[in-house]
Parts: sequence; structure tokens; C-alpha cells
Amino acid sequence: MARARILAPLALLLALPAAAASPAAGQTATRDPDSGLFSWKKEDRGFSLELIQLYPDFVAALYSSRGLPPAVVDSMKDYCVFGTVAQNQSGGLLSYRVADWRYVTPDGQAHRLKTKPEWVAEWKKLGADFGWSILPADVSFDAGDWAQGFTTVRLPPGARFDLVYSWSHHGKHYTGKLENLACAPAQPPAAH
Amino acid sequence: MASTTPASSRTSPARPRSRRLRTKALGLCAALCLALPARAALPLPELSHSLTALKPARPAPDFALPDLDGKLHRLSDYRGKVVLVNFWATWCPPCRREMPSMERLRQQLDGEPFAILAIDQEETPDNVFVFTGQLDPAPGFPILIDRTSEVAPAWGVLGLPTSFLVDPRGRIVYRGMGGRDFDHPAMVETIRRLLEK
Repeated sequence: MARARILAPLALLLALPAAAASPAAGQTATRDPDSGLFSWKKEDRGFSLELIQLYPDFVAALYSSRGLPPAVVDSMKDYCVFGTVAQNQSGGLLSYRVADWRYVTPDGQAHRLKTKPEWVAEWKKLGADFGWSILPADVSFDAGDWAQGFTTVRLPPGARFDLVYSWSHHGKHYTGKLENLACAPAQPPAAH
Repeated sequence: MASTTPASSRTSPARPRSRRLRTKALGLCAALCLALPARAALPLPELSHSLTALKPARPAPDFALPDLDGKLHRLSDYRGKVVLVNFWATWCPPCRREMPSMERLRQQLDGEPFAILAIDQEETPDNVFVFTGQLDPAPGFPILIDRTSEVAPAWGVLGLPTSFLVDPRGRIVYRGMGGRDFDHPAMVETIRRLLEK
């Protein structure tokens, strides 16, 4: 496990150029006709990952409704937030670490995602936390387990990027990619 | 020990005006905040219907938490029963989806030495009260309030929902992370096997 953790970032970096040039095999995109929001999903070698756009106002409303200090709500304003579902479909033990994942902007730069412990540490300094809302950062899944929570990317509304993610299963480390994702627009489309 | 919360005490007909207003506001907020994710194309992954056996079983950390009526529930008071311990929150979509199946499971096993304790994370009784009023069937098992999430870390909970089965000896014997269909025949069979031991 320790060896896999050391090798994971290296494997991820090595995978980036190849992944950037390959088509999004196995990736599905869905648009919700009511909200206009997109979701993207990929199932690959026992691991399923889905990202769902969320409007900034919805995220702010969710956090505000918790009675959290305004500073905590404001802490999200520079991030686009996705509902995220990670599922173990392998039938065995599977693990992932959000710290190993990267989002890649159109300029080719790979960026770390802010993890749940990092959000919790920041929010605690602001006098509160809502850590349960964020996707668990370091998980060993048993068969049939799944997790749901927010993934945060420091990009403006509408920005495009690829997400390169990784997981381990039966001692092997795998890398996957969700391509051409987009942050939700700042506002829902005007009703006609 | 009462394993259910009386319906009469959950309906609280004579609440002060301020609490009624707060409850109404929370209800509106809950409706908005919880309806939006569904409209925002949040997926509905199939609820799992299996739990992972923990080998070896480990002692269940004890806790003492109040229910919606303020009555204190200690896990150790349930020794001799199979207990489903569920960590959840009202804003968590899979938690919302699985809760009716927990009540149907409770009804199926009514009269057996079986109990459900659902531990809400970091919310007020008002939050939870509004939510449970929307459920069909409404939970007849104790919903416990952990305002500061003190219990979840001791149980190794990483995300919501997470559920555990505790055997009559007070040991955690099964665990599941993510939403479950608790009245699925496979799940009921797992619990019945524990009851027969």
C-alpha cells in the first residue's frame, strides 16, 4: 500500500500526456433537461466516478442554510463545485486518494484538488465546518460501497478541464480520466 | 427500553410561535436545498443490498445520545439485540433514499430482538423533525442527535451514510458505506442469521 502511494503521483503524471491525447472511451455525458446541468460518468475496471455540475447559488444556499458563518460560505466562492459519486463495482477491496487526483486546464497545467481535510482545517479556523459535505478524501471501499460528496475545483463558472483520477485494486494502481468537463455556468438559463 | 419514538410526541402540537416559524423556515429551506440536487441531475446510484462482514468483529464504541424528544439512548443498553447503527444527515441524498427502507425493515422484524439507531450528524432536532415528517413510512425507530459529530470518528465513519450491524454481544460484525436498500431480502437474511446465533 505504501509503495502504491509513493508511485501513485508518478503514475498519474506519466499518464497525463497519453490520456490527454486519447478519446474519452467509456465516458458518458448526460444533460438534465430541467436544470440544464451536465453530469459525466465513467466506469472502468471496477471503479465508477461521476461528477455532476452544481450552480454556485445552489452551493451557497446549501452552506448558508446550515447556519454556517458567512466566511465559510465565502470560502467556496472561488471554486466550482461538483456533486460526486464514487462507487466500488469491483467485488473486492478498492481504494482511492483525492490527493493523488489532478485537474488539467486547457493550458496543460495539472492542479491538485483541495481535499476534505484541507477544507475542514480551513473551515475550523473560520469557526465551523461542514466536512461531511465533501467527498471523503482517502477511502478503502469494500464491495458494494460507495461515497457521495462535493469535489471542488478552483476555476470560474463555465471553465473547462479534464480530471485525471486514480484508484488501487488488488495491489495494482489504475488511472482514469474524465475529459472535457465544465464548471456550471454562473446562473441557470433564463426561463422562457 | 422503548425502541420507538411515540408518534404523539413527535407531532408536538403546541409549540411556541417562534419555534413554529423556525420550523416553517427550515422546512422551506429543506425543500429548496433538497429538491435542487435532484433537479440538478444528481444521479441515483442503485442502493446496495449487502454489507461487508468484519473479520474479526470489533467492539462497538459505546455512545449516549438524545433522541428528538431528548431521551438519552446508550448503545450498551441495547446489549442482547442486533442493532443497526446508521450515520446520516437530512441533506445527504442517499441517506434520504435509504431511510424509508430502514423503517420497512424495522416493521418486518417487529417483535424480534432488533433495533435501529439512526445518528444524525451536526443538525438540530428542528432540522430532523421537518425531514422525518416528509418520509413515508415515517421512522418508528429512535433518531439520535449528535450536534458535534463526536461519535462518528470513533466508529471510523468517513462519509454519509455509513451503517453498521452490531451483534447481541456488542460487536460490530458488518459495515456498509453508502446508501443501502435495507429491506432487500438479502439484507433481511443477513440480519435474521445474526438473530438466530
